[in-house]
Amino acid sequence: MTIPAESTFEPANNDASLSDHNESYQALVWRRLRRSFTGMMGLILVTMLLVMAIFAGFFAPMEPNLSTESFMPPDALRILDKDGGLVTPRIYPLVETGEFDPVTFQPLTGPDFENPRRLVLFARGFEYRILGLVPSTIHLFGTSDGEPVHLLGTDKLGRDILSRAIYGARISLTIALTVVSIVTIVGTTIGMMSGYFLGSFDVWMQRFVELVLAFPQLPLYLALTSLIPVTAPTNVFLVFVIVVMSALGWAQMSREVRGKTLALSRIEYVKAAMAIGATDRRIIFQHILPNVMSHVIVAVTLAIPNVVLLESFLGFLGFAVKPPLISWGLMLQDTSNYSVIGSYPWILSPVAFVLITVFAFNALGDGLRDAIDPY
Amino acid sequence: MTEDLIPSRRLDADLHKDDPIIDVRNVGVSFATERGSVLAVEDISMQLYSGETIALVGESGSGKSVTARAIMGLLSRRATMRKGSQIFFRGEDVISQSKHKRRALRGSQISMIFQEPMSSLNPLYTVGGQIVEAIQAHRKISRAKAREQVIALLREVQIPEPEIRIDQYPHQLSGGQRQRVMIAMALANNPHVLIADEPTTALDVTVQAQILNLLRSLQKKHGMAIILITHDLTVVRKFSDYVYVMQKGCLKEHNRTEAIFSNPQHPYTQHLLGSEPRGSAKPLQENSPVILEGNDVKVSFMLKSGGFFKSKLKELKAVDNLSLCLHRNETLGLVGESGSGKTTFGLALTRLINNRSGEITFDGNRIDKMDREQLRPFRSRMQIVFQDPFASLNPRMTIGQIIGEGLIVNGIGEDGREREERVRQGLRDAGLPDTIMGRFPHEFSGGQRQRIAIARAIVLEPEFVLLDEPTSALDLSVQAQIIDLLRKLQDEKGLSYLFISHDLKVVRALCHRVIVMQHGKIVEQGPVEQILTEPETDYTRRLVKAAFEVAA
Repeated sequence: MTIPAESTFEPANNDASLSDHNESYQALVWRRLRRSFTGMMGLILVTMLLVMAIFAGFFAPMEPNLSTESFMPPDALRILDKDGGLVTPRIYPLVETGEFDPVTFQPLTGPDFENPRRLVLFARGFEYRILGLVPSTIHLFGTSDGEPVHLLGTDKLGRDILSRAIYGARISLTIALTVVSIVTIVGTTIGMMSGYFLGSFDVWMQRFVELVLAFPQLPLYLALTSLIPVTAPTNVFLVFVIVVMSALGWAQMSREVRGKTLALSRIEYVKAAMAIGATDRRIIFQHILPNVMSHVIVAVTLAIPNVVLLESFLGFLGFAVKPPLISWGLMLQDTSNYSVIGSYPWILSPVAFVLITVFAFNALGDGLRDAIDPY
Repeated sequence: MTEDLIPSRRLDADLHKDDPIIDVRNVGVSFATERGSVLAVEDISMQLYSGETIALVGESGSGKSVTARAIMGLLSRRATMRKGSQIFFRGEDVISQSKHKRRALRGSQISMIFQEPMSSLNPLYTVGGQIVEAIQAHRKISRAKAREQVIALLREVQIPEPEIRIDQYPHQLSGGQRQRVMIAMALANNPHVLIADEPTTALDVTVQAQILNLLRSLQKKHGMAIILITHDLTVVRKFSDYVYVMQKGCLKEHNRTEAIFSNPQHPYTQHLLGSEPRGSAKPLQENSPVILEGNDVKVSFMLKSGGFFKSKLKELKAVDNLSLCLHRNETLGLVGESGSGKTTFGLALTRLINNRSGEITFDGNRIDKMDREQLRPFRSRMQIVFQDPFASLNPRMTIGQIIGEGLIVNGIGEDGREREERVRQGLRDAGLPDTIMGRFPHEFSGGQRQRIAIARAIVLEPEFVLLDEPTSALDLSVQAQIIDLLRKLQDEKGLSYLFISHDLKVVRALCHRVIVMQHGKIVEQGPVEQILTEPETDYTRRLVKAAFEVAA
């Protein structure tokens, strides 16, 4: 025996509703989102990621393309000196201790307690431009004397991985947002037209969508990559990456929007709009689109992490943006060699950024899904 | 004054020799919401004696169902019972009992049937299996034996061919049959108390009477006590011995049924009793011109049957060559059970769905061959009010936008200011304050929404309005207000209505003529008085009986 939900009970404020409180749709959604812990956490993380990407120069301690010593292990952040006394945060650069490994006879390294590099907030470092406009040399943190600091180590060319990952967020998120925008616009337009006008347009469009959905994705992506000449300029390469990734994504979106449109166009307020003589255009933009949008917004937040994952995955397989652009996928290209990972595991650290991004957007999407249909 | 109307003991307590089987004392329930807790039920006391029926009456949101759930112990997690609430079942306070003990009580001693028979049965199991489960949950009994009992039960609730039905799934049964299955399930363990929460509201009128009669005969046979929750006063009068009237979570009055109906004390009770649709339509002037005419209108849908390779098309005639003619200033009722094609006929006449053949004439113009573009000039002259006020208003638009849309689309009004003035006038005409233009539909109750939908229709100054069951989703007292409003608007603006309904009470109050439909055909038609007093066909007789007598 199923028990109907508590829905039969409506708070008895029928008369009160004619009085004062007047809440817009946005306020309602916001109020419900605030109640969801994961949703709010996602929102905070997403905001932090975006801020980090926009002000990458400020957050990155080192210039991302500056080469120092290759495959340096991460510097340990210490607050204790040699004798265990408490000091300001600092790192001790690795130097050869003069001793040798008894088995391999390799020179051993150890912290150089004589020459600490003190870490300070708002340190001066390489020059960058805030929002591409205002030149600045202030960074969130750095060494007091401008010496290098590699909290996540360096890659094979001796570039700071942390700084590169922070800069990489720019390209990776740009790719994700652009791809998702394209997918959304194309998918929503086609889905709504298909679901509203029906008829033979719908039949043929949906067969085409099925064809796209049935494509084996990975081989197609890799085949498309081979089309682009290696000598193409970096910008062209970036555009190409975006186009390839958008090529298949819209189909799923258009399917979902079509289903939603089909359901909405049978609802009574759409019939009522027809009864007052509204044009198709008006019905689509005034009545269907705003009600489809809630679904689309959720789909978008859940699609972004997919693109981020896809980008890093394709990067790992060798299809990424071209240097000097930096993306997480490109950074992970270096990790496709077993022996490299074995010896220098820290070059995998961009994975952590991908992980956080995926989690943040998924959590936000999850919270939004519950909040977005408040009626 | 209210104090003496709701003494904590029943007014007829002295007539009963035994103790009440259920004694509810000072029960209060509140729900936790985002804006703090909402009191759904405050301080209710009631008694139920074995073998009788008490009725809980009130509008939606009055706390009837919450009270019933509190007795059953089925409140949701957000609900908290007030301190000092006591519910005695045969002298034992059940609130203080353990969960386990209460569960043993539920379904065996006290059982419940719900409003919606479509969703209260699990579609994945056979009906027999579900009743067997209910029996085995409370008694150690073999499957085969339980099955025998189920067949006997199904026979008892008058389901034809119970041996076959027992192995069928819920979707194979009609709504009325499903409700019978629910009753059988509730009776499976011979309960002492049955709580029926709006048991017939979701059913067709003619089926309602059968279900209620069945409940009554089962009550006599088993000596159960029944708590009947309903907003339908005809049902209350016919079936209950004692009535509790609730409003906004409080008891307002209780008394023996005859006493309540003959001499209601509390203003709210008087209001409820006075909310039966009353009055009749003003007589029509002679020779009023025809505004809408349909000749041999046919609407049919093509159903595909057979396999993929041998697909056959089967024609389903929803409206089978029907004719109708509506005069100016007249209200024509279109009556029938659900599935009789009355809504389809109405929508075809307004050209919102296409007819396969036949002629439709609106004010002398043939409109059946026109496409949407050609029809646009006529749209503002014929309007629709839909059944479900929750689905007919776009949740993303403000009230002002919803009502004003028709004005913009049809280019009525010189500028924004004039349109706004018209929207205000429309709201006032529909009996709403004109200050709500910036609000969203979700802030309003069902009745208010229906007024907004009416305002949307009349703001275009139409000549003809199709009313598609505009009152059936509303509470009785709100129904009466909407009917009064519609009648008033007809007088003031000279509207013609095509009124689709299954409720003959409303039809009597509003219509001049009635057309009775069944299976896409017209069964009977004529002036409203004639149809209601001297129905010619059995079908009409059944409808009339169901509406006015429930079950005589």
